[in-house]
Amino acid sequence: MQDKAPGSGLGRIAAAIAKALAYIVMTTFSIMTVYPIFWLIMNSFKSTREFQMDQLGFPQAPTLENYVGAWRLGEFAKLIPNSFIYTIVSTAGIIFLSVLAGFAFAKIKSKWTGPIYASFVVGILLTVQSLMIPLFLEVNLLGIYDTRTAVLLVYIGAGLPMGIYLATEFIKSIPTALVESARIDGAGYFRIFRSIILPMTVPVATTLAILNITTTWNEFALINILVSKTDLKSLPLGMFRFSGSLSSDYGKQFAALTIGMAPMLIFYVAFRRQITKGVAAGAVKG
Amino acid sequence: MTKSIAAPRVDREAGRAYWLMVLPAFLAYVLVMGFPIVLSIVLSLSDFNGGKMFGGAPWSITGFQQYSKILADPYFWSALKNNFYIVLVSVFGQLPLGFVFAYVIYRRIVKWPDFWQGILYVPNIISVIVVGILWQTIFSPYGPLADIINGLSRRDFLAHLAPLLGGSGPVAVGDDLVSRILAAVGPTGVAAAHFASPAADLKDILISLGSVGPKEMLETLANLFAPKWTADFLSIPDLAMLPILFVILWMYTGMYLILFLANMQKIDTQLIEAARIDGAHEGQVMRYIILPALSGTIVNSAILAISGSLSSFALVWAMTGGGPSRITHILAIYMYDSAFRGAPQYPLANAIALVMVLISFALIGVTKIVEKRFGGKEE
Repeated sequence: MQDKAPGSGLGRIAAAIAKALAYIVMTTFSIMTVYPIFWLIMNSFKSTREFQMDQLGFPQAPTLENYVGAWRLGEFAKLIPNSFIYTIVSTAGIIFLSVLAGFAFAKIKSKWTGPIYASFVVGILLTVQSLMIPLFLEVNLLGIYDTRTAVLLVYIGAGLPMGIYLATEFIKSIPTALVESARIDGAGYFRIFRSIILPMTVPVATTLAILNITTTWNEFALINILVSKTDLKSLPLGMFRFSGSLSSDYGKQFAALTIGMAPMLIFYVAFRRQITKGVAAGAVKG
Repeated sequence: MTKSIAAPRVDREAGRAYWLMVLPAFLAYVLVMGFPIVLSIVLSLSDFNGGKMFGGAPWSITGFQQYSKILADPYFWSALKNNFYIVLVSVFGQLPLGFVFAYVIYRRIVKWPDFWQGILYVPNIISVIVVGILWQTIFSPYGPLADIINGLSRRDFLAHLAPLLGGSGPVAVGDDLVSRILAAVGPTGVAAAHFASPAADLKDILISLGSVGPKEMLETLANLFAPKWTADFLSIPDLAMLPILFVILWMYTGMYLILFLANMQKIDTQLIEAARIDGAHEGQVMRYIILPALSGTIVNSAILAISGSLSSFALVWAMTGGGPSRITHILAIYMYDSAFRGAPQYPLANAIALVMVLISFALIGVTKIVEKRFGGKEE
C-alpha cells in the first residue's frame, strides 16, 4: 500500500522539509562519527613531522615506519595472542556454562531454581568494574594474581548473569515435550542436553558470543588490576601506553591505535548484522 | 502406575544432573560477584590496610567511619557531580538522540536504513582506550581542533591588518602605522601581554625586519600575535567535563539507536497503516503507537545507561586520568586512587564501591517508579 501524505500540498511540503532535515541531521552525525576514525587512520601513515605541519590533509609521503615503531614499543606481539586467548576461552566458557545451567533452570524441576536464578538476574545490574578492589584482593588471597586463570575466571563470572538469563529464557521456549519424550525413551539429562538442547541453542549462543567478544576484546579496567606482567596483558594496554609519555609521538600513537582497533573493525564489517541483532537481544537489563 | 514407583530413582538422577549443570556456573558467579560483594561490605567496615588478609597483621571491624569520611571529602562530592553529569548526558542525551535516529530510520523518512545504522554504531565496537586517546588528541592544544581554530583566527587577523600595510612595495614603518596596528589588534593582541611598552617594542620589531613587503610583514605579525587556541576551559571545574561528556554522547548514542530500532521493528506495521488510513498524522502515530510500544525498552535503556554511567572508568581514565588536579574525577577513579595510588586505603575504596552500587540501585529504583507512574501499563 502506498503511504499517502495527508491531503493537501502544504502537508506534502512539510513532509519534504522534514525529509531534507532528516537527511541533513543523519549525514552530519554520520560524518562526525566516521571522520575522526578516518582521520586517525589517515594520520597513522604520516611522519610525526608531517602531521605537525599538516594535520588535516592526506599523507604526502605515506610511510609504514610508525607501524614498525608502534608494534615494537607497544609490544603488540605479546599482547595480541593474549587478547585472542582471553576472548575465545572466556566466550566459550560463558556460552557453555550458561547453556548448561540454563537447561537445568528451564527443564529440570527444582525448588532451588527460584533463588539461584534470581541471584543471577540481580547480577545483571551489578557492573563488575565496581567490584575491582575486592576482586584484586580476592585473586591475591587465592594466589592467582598475575595469572591467566584470574583473568579468565573474572571474565567468565562477569559474563554469566547475562548469559544465564538469555540462555534460560531461550531454552524455556523449547517445547518441554521434546525433553519429556526423550526421558520416556530412557535418555539421561546429559544425553538430552548434548543431542537435543545444544544443537537448538545456536541462536542464543551466537548472541552471547557477539556480546562477549566485543566486551572482552576491549576490556581494560579489570585486566589492569588482575595482572601486572606485560606477558599476560591484552591489546588495550598496548594502546594505553601511548596516552602517557609516548603521547607526543603522534605518528606512533595513531599507528598503535589503528593496530588496536583494526581487529574489531574487521570483525564488525564481517558480522555487522549478527552484531546488531545480538546487541539488541542482549539489552534486557532490569 | 509405574511412574510413581520409578519416581524416587528418577528424582535422584534429575537432582544429580541439576547440580552438575548448575554448580560450575554458580561457583564462578559466587567467586566473581557474590564473594567480592560480601568482602567489599566487610572491608568497608574494617581497618584492613593491605598485607595478608588472614594470618598477617590483625585487623578488625571498626564500623561506619569510612562512610562518614567519604561524605566529608569534597573530592567525593565533585566526583559524584561528574558522575551525575555522565548520567544526565546518557539518559537525556543518548536516549532521545538514539530514539530520534531510530524513528527517522524506522519510518523510512530516510533511505538506506542499514547504512545509517552501520555507521552510527561503529564507535561502540572500538575500545574505549582508542576512543579516549583519539579525542584527547583532537581536543589537545596541538591537535586538529586547535589547528582549525588557529587557522581561522589567523585568517581573520590577516584580513584585519592587510589594509593597513598597503598593496605592495616595502612598508614604511612609522609611529602612525604602529599605533594603527595596535589599535586594530586591540588590547588582547599585541599590547596586553607581550611588551612593557607596546608601541616602542612593536616599532623595534618591525624595523628589525628590514625592508620587506606587506606580505612578509603580515606573516611575521600573524606568527607573533594572531590569537592562539588555548584549552583554558579544561581547567575550569564544570567545563572540564565537556569534552568527556561529548565523547560519551558520540560513543554510545548508536547503541541506543540499535536497541530502539530493533524494538520498533517488532511493532505490528498493520497497526500503523490502519492508523494512517484513519487519518492519524505522524505525530499521533508516534504518540499513540510507537511511544507506548517502546516504553519498556526506554526504561530498560535508561537502566542500562545509569548503571553504565555510574561505574564508567576506562574512558575518563584514558582521556584525562581524572586530571587536571582531579577536576574530572569520577567515582570509579576516586575508588581506584584510594586503593592503588599512594598507601592503599582498602576500607575507603570498598566503601566508595558500595556507595556507587547503592546510588546506581537507587536511581534504577527511581526509574522503575517513574515507569509505574507515567506509563508502562501496556503489555
